[in-house]
Amino acid sequence: MMIFKKKNTSDKDKISLSIIKKRWLKFKTMKRGYYSFVILIILYVISFCLPLLINNRPVLLSYGGSIYFPAISGYVPGSQFGQDVPGEANYRKLKEDWKNDESENWLIMPLYPFSPFEDITVQGNAMFEQPSKRHFLGTDDTGRDVFARLCYAFNISISFALVLAVINFFIGISIGGAMGYFGGKFDLIFQRIIEIWSSLPMLFVIIIIASIITPSFFILIFIYTIVNWIGITYYMRAEFYREKAKDYVAAALSMGQSNTKIIFKHILPNSLVPIITFFPFAVVGYITALVGLDFLGFGMPPPTPSWGQMLGVGLQNMSKSWMVFAPVGAQFLTLLMVVFIGEGVREAFDPKVYSRLR
Amino acid sequence: MATYFLRRMLLMIPTFIGSTMLVFIILQLAPGGPLEQAIQRVQMGAAAQGEGGGDSADISSGGGTALPESAMNELKRYYGFDKPIWARYLIWLGLYPREIRYREIKFESDEFEIEKRVGKLNGQVWKVKIHRDENDELTIYESDGSASETWYAHIEKITDADLHTGIVYQREISGIFTGDLGSSYTYQTPVTEVMKPRFKISMFFGLTGIFLTYIICIPLGIRKALSHGSSFDFVSSVVIFIAYSVPGWAMGGVFLVLFGGGSYWDIFPLGGFHSPVDIWEGLSLWGKIVDQLHHAILPIFAWSIGSFATLTVLMKNGLLENLSQDYIRTSYAKGLSEKRVVWLHAIRNSVIPIASGIGHLIGIVFAGSYFIERVFNIDGFGKMGFQAVLDRDYPIVLAFLVVGVLIRLVGNILSDIALATVDPRIRFK
Repeated sequence: MMIFKKKNTSDKDKISLSIIKKRWLKFKTMKRGYYSFVILIILYVISFCLPLLINNRPVLLSYGGSIYFPAISGYVPGSQFGQDVPGEANYRKLKEDWKNDESENWLIMPLYPFSPFEDITVQGNAMFEQPSKRHFLGTDDTGRDVFARLCYAFNISISFALVLAVINFFIGISIGGAMGYFGGKFDLIFQRIIEIWSSLPMLFVIIIIASIITPSFFILIFIYTIVNWIGITYYMRAEFYREKAKDYVAAALSMGQSNTKIIFKHILPNSLVPIITFFPFAVVGYITALVGLDFLGFGMPPPTPSWGQMLGVGLQNMSKSWMVFAPVGAQFLTLLMVVFIGEGVREAFDPKVYSRLR
Repeated sequence: MATYFLRRMLLMIPTFIGSTMLVFIILQLAPGGPLEQAIQRVQMGAAAQGEGGGDSADISSGGGTALPESAMNELKRYYGFDKPIWARYLIWLGLYPREIRYREIKFESDEFEIEKRVGKLNGQVWKVKIHRDENDELTIYESDGSASETWYAHIEKITDADLHTGIVYQREISGIFTGDLGSSYTYQTPVTEVMKPRFKISMFFGLTGIFLTYIICIPLGIRKALSHGSSFDFVSSVVIFIAYSVPGWAMGGVFLVLFGGGSYWDIFPLGGFHSPVDIWEGLSLWGKIVDQLHHAILPIFAWSIGSFATLTVLMKNGLLENLSQDYIRTSYAKGLSEKRVVWLHAIRNSVIPIASGIGHLIGIVFAGSYFIERVFNIDGFGKMGFQAVLDRDYPIVLAFLVVGVLIRLVGNILSDIALATVDPRIRFK
């Protein structure tokens, strides 16, 4: 089947390419998937620099001849810049004041000068402001900027899903692979454990655990791993089970290869394909799960920016439609891109050429 | 066939025991349980009383912070926390007797026989004599002198002052295996009564949702497969991807904002299973049907949107794969019409994976319903379970779990039957 595919899709100079390269080239031809992949990677990388792009602290500030970097260095009291405010300096106001006074002090604000955490306690912020030029997507129930929170939540959601997926896949592949390879009692016992585990109402377990320990990013990942490693074991077990029976494994065994070598060198690379195509869809699932948990109030601790929390606020204040549309829209665009990537990956790894007579 | 299903059921038993035991232990270990809540209530009540009056010295010693031991014991006994965890679990299962109608008894150090009033029998006061021997073994006699068959007693504690305290009680075996799910702590009614109306509501949404999904997805998948690569295929794919990229309940929220009358159109009600009772009662039968549908359209749409994508794609890919098989080529070669080839040969084979998914979907009815019930404010089964976890209403949580396991069992069997119906090659052994 692979041979036919090569003939169909490649020209002369691609014939000697490795299988991974071929798949990458095939993936590149999937326009939707490839562009989604590029855009998502760029956005994700940019999202790590968010404090410099979306923040209420200036990137660069010159006062009295010396240079400050408040966006990086953090909290600076307003009195230090000659501003008469309690607590932190209000840089947006500072900028205007200096401009009006034609003072020689200057500051460069980030592109979008609002932080996801500054709420109604900061002068000039108001609850439920309509979307405008000032606040692209309005403000929420405590006067925080929705657009800023949306962007920060993007980073958190993707990071959460990626870390969780990697850990889950690692555990699922290890246990599922071992179950399929060793079989026998080990397989039987783990199958029962998995059966019991998967029959638990996991949402409830998470809620109970979350009521014992306050969840943080990594605790949430830990809880979710406990709950979620099962799905992958099914695939892996079946794969290893199938591969084990093939001739090349028997050949390796008869040559006296150790179990470790057979597992990691011979079987694993052969059985990874369905798992890899499954990966983007797992990411979709985990992002959705985090949104759901945040919506219920059992996810990231407040005031962490999160789509689910915003959606929850929106659904409680139906007339503030931007509070619903913004998080659902962000989630939708992100997930749509991941789904396109998944579609592309699946096509690249498992190209089925359907031939019909009519 | 019968032996196959029997084995299937027997295999569920260890799973059932394992999962209920696990949940039972987790619940018992979780903080904020019913006992703690009750203690808190009593303490707050005592504190309030202490401020108002002053006669509460015997209830609240030390500024209303500690409960007297007897009250504490009473609470523990009420919630069953006087037993070790394994005994509680067995009692819940109905394998170990419950202690009911208990009365406390006391023996002074030199007292060996007391008479205790234990209730009423045929309108007369029922008294039993309890005899204690040197080893604290208790024997109970009815008032006519015969040994009691229904009452039991044991010593629980011997204080420093050689005061022997214990309880006299009747035994009753009632638990899951006898069909008794216990009583809800919050509603103060039997769990079955709490569950029944909510289960019906969730069932209504779940079954309608499944029905709709199948009736739309199968034809859509077939149409997409037959016109693979056409503009119809492309457009419907985009729609499906969109549906797949937003969870149904979030989409439900968007619907509510759009059509619920908040900011845009006022077409559908904001939530609820049907109109408030006072309006609902006054409606005619037809009015009730219309009102019910009016309330149900958005939730059902939100409910089914999640499984649209998977099912349609499954159907499409299955059919596409079958259409490229050799037997289809043979059918064409021997001169069968396209209609006959597709509808009789190819589709029959491609609905096999879909048929086996029915049982799985039924399981999802309950897993996925919670969010939708919350968004649309429907007092359904999932919402009940969630609220019970928050309130630590253990009998309901455990009953929820039991129903879930049973539904999975039924779902698996349904899957098997559906599979055997569409695929005659399958034999259950």
